Amino acid sequence: MSRKYELVYVVSPEASDEQVADLHTQVEAIVQRIGGHIEKTDNWGRRKLAYEIGRHKEGTYVLEAIDGGGELMKEIDRRLKVTDLVIRHLIVRVDEEQGVVDRTRANRTESSRRRRVARGLPPDRQPGEGQRGEVDDDREDRFDMGEELR
Amino acid sequence: MNGKKSFGGGGGRGKSSGNQQNKDGQRRPMFRRRKVCKFCSDKIDDINYKDVRMLMPFVPERAKVLPRRISGTCALHQRKLRTAIMRARQLALIPYTTE
Repeated sequence: MSRKYELVYVVSPEASDEQVADLHTQVEAIVQRIGGHIEKTDNWGRRKLAYEIGRHKEGTYVLEAIDGGGELMKEIDRRLKVTDLVIRHLIVRVDEEQGVVDRTRANRTESSRRRRVARGLPPDRQPGEGQRGEVDDDREDRFDMGEELR
Repeated sequence: MNGKKSFGGGGGRGKSSGNQQNKDGQRRPMFRRRKVCKFCSDKIDDINYKDVRMLMPFVPERAKVLPRRISGTCALHQRKLRTAIMRARQLALIPYTTE
C-alpha cells in the first residue's frame, strides 16, 4: 500500500551545506531501505523563523515528497526526533487531499464546459473573454454602492 | 449584460424608496458589503500550509486565526484554512502569538 507523504524539516542554522546534504542522504537511505522512493526534494534555503525555537532565529527548510508506507514514515519520524541538527519537522499525508482537489477541479471544468455548450458557446474559454463578465459580477455584489453614491 | 445592469438599478430604486420613509426620525439601516468566501470566488481548492503569503491575510497582527464572521470564509474553507495555519505554525512559518 503506497501512500504519499510530505516531509518538511528545519535544520539548525549552524549546520553547513554538507551537513544539510548529509541529512538528505540519511533520509534517502531510510526510504530506500524500507522500500519507498523520494519523488521530489526542495531546499527552501535559509528563512527567518516566525518565533524562536530554542535559541535559533533562523533555519534551513527542506521539503521531501516521499512515496511509501506508514512504517517508513514512522521510522523517519523517530530518526528525525533524535537528530539534534533538525530543530523541527512535520510529516503530512497528502494523497487523499490531493485526490479530493483533483476531483473538484475536474468536476468544475466539466460542469462549466457543459454549461457553456448549453449556452451555445465553445466548451473552452476563448482568450479575451470572460474577464469582463467577472468584474461586472463583482460590482453587482456591491448592493450598497448605490446608497453611497446618493 | 444589459439585462443584468437594469436589474441592479431596479434593486437600488427599491431601497431608496425605503430610505425616504426612514428619514422621519428613524435610523438608517447599516449597509454592509456582502462577504464572499475568498477561496470559493478565486477557486482555490488547495489551501496549503507551505503558501505563507496566501495564509497571512487570515492571521492578523495578534497571530490569531481570523474568524469567519469577519473574513466571510465558508465553513469548508475555514476548516481547511485552520489546519493549514496550524501546520504552518508547527514549522515556524507563522507565529503562534506576538508579544
